[in-house]
Amino acid sequence: MTTVALMGNPNTGKTTIFNQITDTYAYVGNWTGVTVEKKMGNIKHSEIVVTDLPGIYSLNPITKDESVAINYLLTDDADIILNVTNAGQLKRNLLLSIELLEFGRPTVIALNMIDDLKRSGIYYDINTLSEKLGCHIETTNARNKDGVKELRDELLNMPADELPDGSALELNYPFMVKQAIRQASEKLISAYDMKPAFARWVAIQYINKNKIIRKYAVKNDLKPLLEQQGYYDAQNFENKIFNTRLSFIDETLTSATKNLESTKNVEMTSKIDKIITHPLLGLPIFILIFLFMFKLSFDWIGTPISDQLDALLSGPISTYADKLLISIGAMPFLRSLIVDGVIAGVGGVLTFIPQIFTLFACISILEDSGYMARAALVTDRIMQMIGLNGKAFIPLIIGFGCNVTGIMAARTIEQPKERLITTLISPFMSCSARLPIYSLFVAAFFPKNQALIVLSIYFLGIAVALLMAKFYQVIFKVKDSTVFIVELPKYHIPRLDIIWRGTWDKSKGFVKKAGTIIFAGTVLIWLMSNFGPAGFVTDIDNSFSALLGKVLLPMFAPIGITSWEAISALFTGIMAKEVISSSMMVLFHTSSQTALIAAFGQMFTPVAAYSMLVFVLLYVPCFATIGTIKSETGSTKWAAYSVVSSFVIAYAMSFIIFQVGSLLF
Amino acid sequence: MSLFVNILIAAIIIGLAGYEIYKVTQKSKQGKCAACDYKCEAKLMADKAKKQ
Repeated sequence: MTTVALMGNPNTGKTTIFNQITDTYAYVGNWTGVTVEKKMGNIKHSEIVVTDLPGIYSLNPITKDESVAINYLLTDDADIILNVTNAGQLKRNLLLSIELLEFGRPTVIALNMIDDLKRSGIYYDINTLSEKLGCHIETTNARNKDGVKELRDELLNMPADELPDGSALELNYPFMVKQAIRQASEKLISAYDMKPAFARWVAIQYINKNKIIRKYAVKNDLKPLLEQQGYYDAQNFENKIFNTRLSFIDETLTSATKNLESTKNVEMTSKIDKIITHPLLGLPIFILIFLFMFKLSFDWIGTPISDQLDALLSGPISTYADKLLISIGAMPFLRSLIVDGVIAGVGGVLTFIPQIFTLFACISILEDSGYMARAALVTDRIMQMIGLNGKAFIPLIIGFGCNVTGIMAARTIEQPKERLITTLISPFMSCSARLPIYSLFVAAFFPKNQALIVLSIYFLGIAVALLMAKFYQVIFKVKDSTVFIVELPKYHIPRLDIIWRGTWDKSKGFVKKAGTIIFAGTVLIWLMSNFGPAGFVTDIDNSFSALLGKVLLPMFAPIGITSWEAISALFTGIMAKEVISSSMMVLFHTSSQTALIAAFGQMFTPVAAYSMLVFVLLYVPCFATIGTIKSETGSTKWAAYSVVSSFVIAYAMSFIIFQVGSLLF
Repeated sequence: MSLFVNILIAAIIIGLAGYEIYKVTQKSKQGKCAACDYKCEAKLMADKAKKQ
């Protein structure tokens, strides 16, 4: 059986590669001493076992979790090391690679995300790299599965029994360091029966102040090292080792770099970053960018196009459909079901496509230009101030698209407690499904400040999520927080095809939902508003939806919701948040946004409308999200807790906003 | 159009809606959103784990 240790910096696509080269995998308990799960997999039709180790920046661990990797090298006998690197950040990634190459096991380095590197105008000569580093090198693009097959074949062609003893990389350290390494390793080989490569590696790591190796030396009483500790530290060998490694990397990369485009891009990136990630300016810029995004979606592009679609739907389409149905002899109830139900509800929601499309296009541009990584960095500062980890921000940003994907993304968080916290706060992020109802309400009550109001709702969601995270952190007693380091890719002009793909990927879900759950929700609310305890009703006031809404009116009055229609719509919103707006269309028998907006005017004050928006933002997550929380946490208890807690939080926030707002305005 | 056809069409629409709700609740149990076609890494992992 051959064992492969998968190692690399965090966020290099290590896990993606792991999933692609292995066919079956299992969590086999936790690593000793830490709460990080141990994951192992098999390469198909082979005896090769791959172990996915937690991402690290160096073999010298900063946190307890990071000690897993070096302990693995010390205790388990990995036959091959697969080192996944981010090709775009090779300079930093190679620092770890050198430590692994010095270990002396046969090593394959995967230059992942190679496409991003090519896009930045740089490419490395693989042969030169391979020669300088003395190992196999494969280029991959795990996201598109490029090069993964070759990588797999490379591993398959390295059967254990024929493996050469792999010659360890030997850097040209300064004379004093070299001498210290040589003397120590010679003694380790003779007195402790160590293999030469291992002895050398242990000596280098010891001199380099690796905490785990220092403990290892004490435990195994490695006298040649322990006796010299004072000398090594006094001579500051640690810095000398680091500098040698860095200049080796510089030299290697310089000789391997091909077709280097002008360094203008690098200069430009650092100039832009000085402003965008500025400690004081960073956050206001982040807010301004989001405001600009909402301005485009609601004021400048989205809403004007949406209005045109709405006019088309509520005018010619509805009238034509009604006439057609009359001409073929459809009875009133069927006409009502099709025109007031399906067309008004499903069509009504579809008219919001322009806003959603614009917003997603903006998010795709931000992602592709390289800004999102900076956004995570900027918010990390604030999160640190309240003692949170910036890593959680990435799943949260994904949650803007859909909470389900956001919760799924929380899997990248290795600490179970931190993962649970991120899962629980994800539903507070304002997903795109809530946009139609925001759009309706801001058009009705805040026509001049549409973007600003939506922005405030989004940020309120973030604020509630962060506060709750802090609360859970205290409750769950999370102490050993992982360090958050984020890649800052170079800025580049977003590519049209990538933006289009990103926008379409995110928006097509909305269109698909219109044909499934929104359609179903619309028919359900039509049934509930046309049937009552006495059967088919002509007066909607006697319908089931009216009965349900009216019973709950006293409970919702303190938060400003005084129409039973809104309460019924909120109920159907649990199926999918878009259904809130389609239900409103059905309940008010209109497919016209203008008519709906006029109807709202009589039911809500602006303060009540804002309170309703806050309630929509925070109340019970949709079915899919509840299901995901259950499957991700593996317990119905947490799913039920999420439903109850979010309802209580939503009610409390709306109550405060409505009561205080009513006093002020 | 006869009463029967009217009722039949309405029944089909309602039946379809009922089926969609059933399908979506089933999907939700697996941790999928009605909109979600996007096979993200996390989802592939979840699917694989289930198969084992």
